[in-house]
Amino acid sequence: MTEVLLLGRRAVREIFRYPEATIPVLFIPLFFLAVNIGQVSPTFPSTTDFLKGQGYVAFQLPVSLMFAVATATSGLALVTEIDSGYFDKLLVAPIRRTSLILGRLTADLVRGIAGSAIVLLVGIVIFGAHVESGPAGAVLVVLLAALFGVAYAGFGILVALTTRNVQATNTSFLLFFPLLFLTPNFVPFDRLSPAMETLARINPVSYVIVGIRSLIIDGWVVDKILVCLAVILAMGVILTGLSLRAIANYDR
Amino acid sequence: MENNAKAPAIEARGLTRTFKGGIEAVRGVDLEVSEGEVFGFLGPNGAGKSTTVRMLCTLLPPTAGSAWVAGHDVVADGDTVRHDIGVALQEIGLDPVQTGRELLELQCGLYGITGNAGRERAQELLELVGLTDAADRRTKTYSGGMKRRLDLASALVHQPKVLFLDEPTTGLDPASRLTVWEEVRSINSTGTTIFLTTQYLEEADELCDRLAIIDNGEIVAAGTPESLKAEIGKDVVSVELHGADAERTQQVIGDLPGLDRVIAERDALALFVENGAASIAEIVRRLDAADVEVGAISVSRPSLDDVFLEATGRRLEGADSGHEDEGAEQDEAAAKAVAS
Repeated sequence: MTEVLLLGRRAVREIFRYPEATIPVLFIPLFFLAVNIGQVSPTFPSTTDFLKGQGYVAFQLPVSLMFAVATATSGLALVTEIDSGYFDKLLVAPIRRTSLILGRLTADLVRGIAGSAIVLLVGIVIFGAHVESGPAGAVLVVLLAALFGVAYAGFGILVALTTRNVQATNTSFLLFFPLLFLTPNFVPFDRLSPAMETLARINPVSYVIVGIRSLIIDGWVVDKILVCLAVILAMGVILTGLSLRAIANYDR
Repeated sequence: MENNAKAPAIEARGLTRTFKGGIEAVRGVDLEVSEGEVFGFLGPNGAGKSTTVRMLCTLLPPTAGSAWVAGHDVVADGDTVRHDIGVALQEIGLDPVQTGRELLELQCGLYGITGNAGRERAQELLELVGLTDAADRRTKTYSGGMKRRLDLASALVHQPKVLFLDEPTTGLDPASRLTVWEEVRSINSTGTTIFLTTQYLEEADELCDRLAIIDNGEIVAAGTPESLKAEIGKDVVSVELHGADAERTQQVIGDLPGLDRVIAERDALALFVENGAASIAEIVRRLDAADVEVGAISVSRPSLDDVFLEATGRRLEGADSGHEDEGAEQDEAAAKAVAS
């Protein structure tokens, strides 16, 4: 456990030492939030049924939160480390290889909490969103988003370990776009075209968005929150599991 | 193999690594390094040095053969081996984000030396490698020599029984090279066994108690530098051809008395003869009589380069085995760094 904390502390230190890597990660979700609200809110005023009296920002916030937390940052940091040779130095230390991944994920959790808290605050303070489930719900929104970031980080780490290629790891982030946009991101499921609805319903990210959105718009809808949590856990178990296996078999 | 006082510090039997595509980087290496020795692994770029080190350090599993380090099997007991070894690989592995001090403190932590003990050990090592002034700067601002010294320090945090140094001076200027040599000697004087790879003859000669010469993944000669040179038992007369026909020249001096062997180099002939000084007059006489004009003729006691030449038919300096292994790319990159 000590080694995970040591490696995690180092990874968190990296966030602060390279603010230029973190700022764009925050700029993009806020940019999309502003643009989407600006373009779509006239179409869906607060009288729209699925907004339940709130502005369109409430509907868009979960999408921006996903943007803020789903990054390939850990994968990139790892592949850079492989490239520089520092990874070998860590592998030759008498530590469990899994600690190298868990240390990275610790940083993802910290980054996810900070990033989603900022986006949520901007949504509330600047765009006037209101979290129906109250302060505890807001904390849960931040935690669910951060956990989703941790789960998704496993994908970048997996690409980094299997390709050992900086470009491949960098572009792996693009795969998040279909995952994010084949969801009820602009309108609820029942307003999507039948084909889109089918795709959105099989996309697990949809349920994460729906769960977080329910905390903001509806209040405490337990089944949606549980499904959201279950999807995040399943993604985490699968992607982290695959990463842990990849590092255990690294050069073996 | 059980861990006991008599076990060699490093032992390898038939150690082999074949990469995907059938590239045999290391082919059946046998070696034994005693406790407290500085053992050199000398060979050209891509000879299999780095691959051997990676196998001995548990980073790469062998495809055949076995190896034991500090009495433990590198495959079956990798965790224990990792506790007992320190490693400075050819590609300097430093995290550019951390300062020298942070990097050493983290390294201490990974070996279970935490809190004050870790901070003290890091300070001690910074002093040992002369980096106290730069300790709180990020490592990306360090010069090549400073990086190499910090890398060396990070391999020493836990006072390892066996220290692996893969081309520790490649890419360094002569002054930094001497500093590293001094550090290697001082580390060894405390009883640490050192396994050092190098492509520099002088380094092998200066630092190593014993050495093995590796070429194309195989050990072609092994012993103390003195014994290897003595084994040749001959003087080496070098005849620079300067455009003269190698075959014709060889014909003219081919049956020289006391001549053991002639090896044709790019623009020279190396003659291994019993009495070099005495042979020169005869060589000149014969070349004159046959009207063959050559360049300088010199005589020397055998060097490690002559040992390498005798074993492989090529000079080590400027040699490249052309054999690609995983380490080859690194070797080449490092060689470019030296050249530039």
